[in-house]
Amino acid sequence: MAMTVKPWQWGNVPSHEMATPVKGEVVPKLMKAAKRPLLITGGEALKEKWGDKPLIDFVAEVAKIGIPVIATADSYKALRDRGVEPAAIMSVADVTNRLQDPAWSIDGKGSYDLVMYVGISYQLQSQMLSTLKNFATHLKTMSLDRYFHPNATFSLPNLKQDEWEQVLNNVVKALKS
Amino acid sequence: MSEKWPLKVSAKEITSGLLHAKDVEVMIGRLAMEEAWEPIGPTPFPHVSTLRSWDHKLLGRYKPFYAPFCDYCCLCTYGKCDLSKGKLGACGLDLKAQQGRIVLLACCIGAATHTSHARHMVDHLIEKYGHDFPINLGQDIAVEMPHARLITGVKPKTLGDLAYLLNYCEQQITQCLSATHTGQEGSYIDFESKALHVGMIDHLSMEIADVAQIVAFNFPKGDPNAPLTWLGLGVLDLRKPVVLCIGHNVSAGIEVIEYLEKSGLGGPGQTVDIGGLCCTAHDITRYRDQAKVVGPISDQLRIIRSGAADAIMTDEQCIRTNVLFEAQRVKTPLIATSDKASYGLMDVSDLPVEKIVEMLVSGSVPGVYLPDLEKAGAVVAVTAIRMAPIRQKFKIIPDTSQIQSAASKCTLCGTCRRNCPIDLPVDQAVFNAKKGSFDMLAALHDVCLGCARCEQVCPQKIAPLTLIEAAAQAKIKTEKYLMRVGRGPILDTEIREVGSPIVLGEIPGVVAYVGCANFPNGGMEVALMAREFARRGFIVTLSGCSAMVASYYRNEEGKTIYEEFPGSFDRGGVVNVGSCVANAHITGAAIKIANIFARRPLRANYEEIADYILNRVGAVGVAWGAYSQKAASIATGCNRLGIPVIVGPQGSKYRRMYLGKAEDRDSFTVYDARTGEQSWVGPVPEHLIIALENMNECMVWTAKLCIRPNDTTKGRMIKLTHYVDLYKRIYGRLPPDLQMFVRTEADIPITFKDEVVQHLKEVGWKPWEKPSVDPTLLRRLVRV
Repeated sequence: MAMTVKPWQWGNVPSHEMATPVKGEVVPKLMKAAKRPLLITGGEALKEKWGDKPLIDFVAEVAKIGIPVIATADSYKALRDRGVEPAAIMSVADVTNRLQDPAWSIDGKGSYDLVMYVGISYQLQSQMLSTLKNFATHLKTMSLDRYFHPNATFSLPNLKQDEWEQVLNNVVKALKS
Repeated sequence: MSEKWPLKVSAKEITSGLLHAKDVEVMIGRLAMEEAWEPIGPTPFPHVSTLRSWDHKLLGRYKPFYAPFCDYCCLCTYGKCDLSKGKLGACGLDLKAQQGRIVLLACCIGAATHTSHARHMVDHLIEKYGHDFPINLGQDIAVEMPHARLITGVKPKTLGDLAYLLNYCEQQITQCLSATHTGQEGSYIDFESKALHVGMIDHLSMEIADVAQIVAFNFPKGDPNAPLTWLGLGVLDLRKPVVLCIGHNVSAGIEVIEYLEKSGLGGPGQTVDIGGLCCTAHDITRYRDQAKVVGPISDQLRIIRSGAADAIMTDEQCIRTNVLFEAQRVKTPLIATSDKASYGLMDVSDLPVEKIVEMLVSGSVPGVYLPDLEKAGAVVAVTAIRMAPIRQKFKIIPDTSQIQSAASKCTLCGTCRRNCPIDLPVDQAVFNAKKGSFDMLAALHDVCLGCARCEQVCPQKIAPLTLIEAAAQAKIKTEKYLMRVGRGPILDTEIREVGSPIVLGEIPGVVAYVGCANFPNGGMEVALMAREFARRGFIVTLSGCSAMVASYYRNEEGKTIYEEFPGSFDRGGVVNVGSCVANAHITGAAIKIANIFARRPLRANYEEIADYILNRVGAVGVAWGAYSQKAASIATGCNRLGIPVIVGPQGSKYRRMYLGKAEDRDSFTVYDARTGEQSWVGPVPEHLIIALENMNECMVWTAKLCIRPNDTTKGRMIKLTHYVDLYKRIYGRLPPDLQMFVRTEADIPITFKDEVVQHLKEVGWKPWEKPSVDPTLLRRLVRV
């Protein structure tokens, strides 16, 4: 039976149709199934924790596995310091704006099929997911943050910090395997 | 032209025995205003669609980007209609048009609010000082109302003229609002054009409101050395009766001061202390700098619950709508003076002052509605004096010793956090307090918006905001900052000094920190950003709540930015123009640069002036905590005038940005007015309005959005130096788009020359064939 999840921000109810909440083990499967995944990260990745490290370390791990990352806000430097050169540095509005165009991609090789956001403040991320939900119906989207994002195609449910960290650990492990 | 004079006669040339004149226009009926100070331009009193072609030019480059906040339309009885993913509503509207419609609605609300404010102000002042009271801003300001001249073609001379101009504003807002009715406009682009129109009207209304109060109340008239005044939650003298004025229309608050002064009780701070919240606070200190600014909108509940006020007077806008309830909790009588916010209170206009005071002091009524401002001034003053010994500063913020027990029921359910607009960890802070640690609660005081949504939802009926304030009491007592009183307009003499270096780029930009207090991470960020750009030699202007919080930072000498930097509109100046309606002076300064420095015709010549500003005046607005519909219309009005705006992450909830695409070369192509040839000038400015995630990103974009096609090589080099320097500091590398802004080697910042040259080599940059053009988007301005 499908989970019923309230948006993290209670007032953020955009529609009767909301994201499909996904269990942690489904996340790496969706990522692996994607032929053209993209991960967008932002300034919250420097503040949020992943165990005893900042969340940006998780982003760096994913990038090293081969998923292209776009660095928004001030997340670039931290990624570079971890040996990762993001595919691009853009504002989150700029990248989301371009993602509405099915022909657009950073590498010029055509549309992405799974766009993921992580480490971007809740409301701004929600608004960006709303744009893609409504005006980029060719895309699937997923939030990897620990808050349920109703505007995404797939979202983690609202998780406790340790539960979420475990999900991210499993993502890294599964992607590496 | 929508505005019609009773009779208009024009002639290219008239010769008679007494007179020889060219380009004569006589408008009988409004003759007093229509002296021939400049030939009338192409668009006097523009109607909704008069400037539509300009809007479409802007929107062709800066296409609306929509981020729906809600997928439904619920404005008519066919709905709710689900418009998501390409579906049409029962009326045929799609989701993009619905977003444009909601944006237009917000802008209409914002513009109507300022226009209504201006109408109330002007009517009140005409009643007080007469229809013919002159508009005189002193000898250093000849262009007294640049928006009025630019938009309507009218050079106002009296308060009566301002009332006349407001008729036009009211008409235009009604026209635009009507387009949001079901079954009217259906194009998102044209909804946006109307939003731009009503945003423009908003700036005219703000100018009218502020100029009226400046001249009539004798506020500072562009004085760079306007006095400093006290600001903060800790500034009120609690030994005295305290009056708290909340809102945006200072007419009411001034009546309190006038009553005290006429009664021999002295000015603010003598017998009675007077503090203000929101823009009324700005304006009350423009009237008497002994009055005090408590803080922005976010401090309303804090100061009311602290029990400091012995009488609360409200006027209009940005008032907590449950202010009556909150005032009752601390036994403070409320006197509401505006018909826009009367809170269900009894209208006591017909009762004598003594009777009203008796009702309030005895507690037989918690508050009254009293739109007679003179009477309200007396009632508020006397009530505060009589209530002070009765109330004894009764408060509902507990002592520190009571915090732990108040928090004892917390289960860490997280409901408070999930209803906090900025997702603060209120739950953890309260839970920590339950265990006896108050540090986290106290720290939240600096970033909390003060909205108290957390209190509405707590299943245990805990009041987190009250606990936050209790935990921060020691700090609150030290919150005393100096802010320069709002100086109003920019002097014509200042414009003459800085016009050239701004247009050539040698002053790297004008940055305006404006608007509300919905900050993602506290007001301190505005202070830090303002200081950063002042130190870099930008001209920093401020208004409203942002002007207040900018005083929160103290440098190593203990000085706020208003003490550290001069108040002049010049390189490195920090200019507080005043309240929200004073925002018109910031955009007005851009208009004056085009007119006074560049000698572009001003009168009814909107399109050309906006084109000039877009291409030449490196000005950027930063509304980091924008929350209101007024902020939406102010920003949209800036956009029509060619001024880009940055909003904070919460600003994404406005649903719409205007975003350019740097790679779309055609959209950044302009005419060279000298030759008529079309040239790519780079993505400058790249966006008209964008929401950004955090302060670091905002600073980089602020520097970048100051770049303009007209920059000289020296100016471009200076602007790029700041862009590159900030980028390197925050990103640790050169900007990847740098080559789009370097036209010739002379543009390269000297301090970064080697690495920039290396970068340019790597990306295959070549010097531009036409690095210097006379840029315009208007074909009619081409001179060949």
